[in-house]
Amino acid sequence: MDLEEIQTVWSEMTDQLEKQKKLTTELIMKMTQERYRTKFDKITFYETIGAVVCFVMALYLLVNINKLDTWYLMACGIFTIALLLILPVITLRLLGKIQRMNIVKNSFKETIVSYTKTKNQLLLMQRVGIYLSFVLMFTCLPVFSKIMNNKDLFLQGKIWLTYIPVMVIFLFLFTRWGYKCYKNITNSAENILKELET
Amino acid sequence: MGKEESFTRIIKENEGLIFKITTIYTENGQDQKDLYQEIVYQLWKSYDSFRNESKISTWMYRIALNTAIGQLKKSKKHSNKTGIDQVVLRQTESYDTEFENRLKMVYEQIHQLNILEKGLILLLLEGKKYGEIAEITGLSETNVGTRISRIKQKLKSRILKK
Repeated sequence: MDLEEIQTVWSEMTDQLEKQKKLTTELIMKMTQERYRTKFDKITFYETIGAVVCFVMALYLLVNINKLDTWYLMACGIFTIALLLILPVITLRLLGKIQRMNIVKNSFKETIVSYTKTKNQLLLMQRVGIYLSFVLMFTCLPVFSKIMNNKDLFLQGKIWLTYIPVMVIFLFLFTRWGYKCYKNITNSAENILKELET
Repeated sequence: MGKEESFTRIIKENEGLIFKITTIYTENGQDQKDLYQEIVYQLWKSYDSFRNESKISTWMYRIALNTAIGQLKKSKKHSNKTGIDQVVLRQTESYDTEFENRLKMVYEQIHQLNILEKGLILLLLEGKKYGEIAEITGLSETNVGTRISRIKQKLKSRILKK
């Protein structure tokens, strides 16, 4: 099928679509209502719920930070709080950036460049987030154990002997899979950017 | 003529155009429906800012294509794919299966192009001149020409491979 043939089929389809007018005034005006929108809002809804959970956890740790009585527990506590606050804020900001793209003034080229760049940043952020959440598993466990049960897990070697090897194997398998997915998506995005910026 | 009246008239006149854009930028019926609604919503939102500075079709293509790009982030997460056959053309009493198959092949070819190429081929198939394609896409006219001949070669080489 060459371009001429594609063109012929396309024209025929256009003619058929012309004969199949389906939209009514009522339906069009319904689509212009904010509440009628479905997909766009869902994404930020889930991200926002996730962010709220993170903020509540960070607040809980902040309120109880005085219970962390050794330097290493305090360090783990501060790291956990920082991560719980920073990661969701960056993700929400990047999602917001995509939604705030000026689709009226921007040309198609500008939209693609801006969308692809932000999407790359978002993917990078998600990748960094995956790695950091593994670190978070190591740091939050002793912090919550100390705050909720007043137990210092660092003094109980047995738990770490099973916890660390399991986590390392899981981390190895998960990151290998994550890297492959990430590379495939960003490679195609980078090709488009290269094409548009030359 | 009131704002609502003139807006609905424009949408009715161009509903096929929106349908075609949503078909090439989505992979299943639900995504297509969502994109369709989002495009109409964005057109309505920007309708006040459209002051006949450009042709109505140029304004519509720009908003619709830009909206399609902004919606791409969600499409890969959907798992309930219904397949291209349900979105190719709205079925009527005089339904032509042979034509539907040819149309399916056309969409298969277009779906393999990247997001920029999809926009360019759509505008070309819609009969736009290089100058208007350049105005909508923000590329130079020469650049449009170069890219379109690359797309043609891409399509040709795929046919030869088959």
